[in-house]
Amino acid sequence: MKTKNLLAKLANFMDKDRNVESEELATIRGVLKKLKTKEHKLREKLEANPGEEARAELQGKLDVVHAQRVKGLERVKEIRDSHREPSTPNATAETKTTEE
Amino acid sequence: MRSNGPWNRVAERMQRSLLLTAVFLVLGYGFWVSPDLKEIAAGIALFLFGMISLESGFKAFTGGALEIALRRSTDRLWKSIAFGLGSTTMMQSSTLVSLITISFVSAEMISLAAGIGIIMGANLGTTTGAWLIAGLGLRVDIAAYAMPMLVFGVILLLNRSRELKGVGYLLLGIGFLFLGIAYMKEGFDALQEGFDLSAYAVPGLAGLLIFTAIGMAVTVIMQSSHATLLVIIAALAAGQVTYDNALALAIGANLGSAFTTALGGLTANLGGKRLAVAHVLFNVMTAAVAIALIDQMVWAVDQISNLIGIAEDDFLLKLALFHTLFNLLGVVLLVPFVKQLERALIRYVHFVPPPSEQPRFLFPEALETPSTAVTAVRNEVAHLYDNAHVLISHGLSLRRRVIDSDASLSDAVRSTRRIMPLDVDDVYEKKIKSLYSAIVAFIGDVQGRETPQHWTDQLYSLQEGSRDIVEAVKAMKHLHKNLSRFGVSPNPPVREHYDALRIQIAKLLREIRELRTEEPGAITSLSLDSLKLALERSSRERLDSINRMIRDRRIPPHIATSLLNDEAYAYEIGEKLIEAAHALLLSDAPGDRIVEEVLALDDREIERMASSAEEKTAR
Repeated sequence: MKTKNLLAKLANFMDKDRNVESEELATIRGVLKKLKTKEHKLREKLEANPGEEARAELQGKLDVVHAQRVKGLERVKEIRDSHREPSTPNATAETKTTEE
Repeated sequence: MRSNGPWNRVAERMQRSLLLTAVFLVLGYGFWVSPDLKEIAAGIALFLFGMISLESGFKAFTGGALEIALRRSTDRLWKSIAFGLGSTTMMQSSTLVSLITISFVSAEMISLAAGIGIIMGANLGTTTGAWLIAGLGLRVDIAAYAMPMLVFGVILLLNRSRELKGVGYLLLGIGFLFLGIAYMKEGFDALQEGFDLSAYAVPGLAGLLIFTAIGMAVTVIMQSSHATLLVIIAALAAGQVTYDNALALAIGANLGSAFTTALGGLTANLGGKRLAVAHVLFNVMTAAVAIALIDQMVWAVDQISNLIGIAEDDFLLKLALFHTLFNLLGVVLLVPFVKQLERALIRYVHFVPPPSEQPRFLFPEALETPSTAVTAVRNEVAHLYDNAHVLISHGLSLRRRVIDSDASLSDAVRSTRRIMPLDVDDVYEKKIKSLYSAIVAFIGDVQGRETPQHWTDQLYSLQEGSRDIVEAVKAMKHLHKNLSRFGVSPNPPVREHYDALRIQIAKLLREIRELRTEEPGAITSLSLDSLKLALERSSRERLDSINRMIRDRRIPPHIATSLLNDEAYAYEIGEKLIEAAHALLLSDAPGDRIVEEVLALDDREIERMASSAEEKTAR
């Protein structure tokens, strides 16, 4: 089992694509966090009952931030699924290791 | 201080051609008269070629370690001095360090005070060359070490990998340096048999001044104080110059290196010019103090030599010690006054703007490394954007101070009684076209060099950004024609429409200006999507409004077509300004670019959101 774990880790280390995706995942998560904070702040401003023009502007910004977050979360899911997928050799080693 | 005009550039070219011709004639005559001079000159040529190879080698590793080290090590004066000392010692070239420093100061990536610190450190760093040559170069069979380095260097040079090629250049550089030293040593030894230069030694103050001038002239011609020091040490070792005259030559070599930097600073921007002035002042002050206190310094050298075990008749190491001492003295004298010097330079070294806008950041020194080149281009595109911002503001008949403040844009627009006359073509020629041309030419120069893909992509974005700015200005030119005719129309629907156009563009200018004050990065550039949505929505609202006015016959057809055309121009201005802002707001980090590509809304998504908002309003 230890040898298999070691081989799985070595496979992960050598798998450049996976590492690049992991970095992308980390960066996207960081940005999603900031977007969530931004969304909260916009909602607070909207709840403060601004004028009609300001309301329309805030609503527009909120719609955009929400749409960006949705895209980001979809991409996060995509990356996670690709890391879990059993059809790739690395995932096979990992899945087997996890099962064991 | 005026920038160089065309006649100045012609004069400079003529001077350089005359100097080159004179050098060729003198050398040619010298080779014909003395075969030993050929060996000495060949030694110098090999040494200089070695330094060029070293510079090429180190440049392969720039765009990363050097720039990061430079940025981190310049927040304090002692760090700047240490950086200058360390990098010059490693690279054995104060010229490369000075040029990189000038490019960083010109691109405003480090302060002038930090640049002054690095120059002081670089001066100290050149003294290590003297120690290497005096302590090692002339005492061992240095040519034997050179040969394997040349072989391995050439083999590495044949590799495709940039890093391996860089190491190859480094090995070649060191190999040629050693070979140059060996040739020079043999050349001077041979010369001694036929010709005794020391017979021309001049004692006293006259000798001090004459040989200082000779040292300076030789350094200016060879463009390298290291090479001059090598000549001095080799000549001293062969007994061709006296110890006293060698000290004066060393002082002159220091002065000459400042002249080289001054020449480089002439073609730099204001920051680079100020740094060049600082270098000249520092070296002139150091030389003046060394000349005034020469006897005291010679005494100090003798005392320290006794302390550290240098033999009384080892004039080579004593020369190296003298070189170190007088540079150290200069640093010690100037360090307490760096801030005052910086303030004086900022106060007295000015920039007189010429009639047509000149680039502020695109100078040859910025081409030294990819990061300085990209930073220079980004700063210049920001400069271009600022000019476009002013032009478009005036085109909207709004003062820049109104747009750049929190004042109500609606009130400012609705209270307009007269559209400002504006010769957009003239302003475009003076403030936009010249900068755009310079940016494009500069990017061409950068792309002519070997530049990593990451930096090339950024340059491409910035080039696109500058084109977007120009297109926004051209669209403003078209819009302004009808704005002048109908902008304050007595027909209320027409007036309302043009007011809405002006408010929309002014708002966009203000929002982009606010975003540009934030930290560049993915979050900031993603904020542009909300501006795109606002532009899309307001444009659709205005088009609907125009169509209603046409249906209700509230406006004649010829006015309707003008409104439709102007709506298209206004949309183009907004679209292009947002694209240009995007190029300016994205950071250098590759991670930010990837995230921005993933999260940013595309045109289809923006249109879908604008449509759904329209439907909600209709219901």
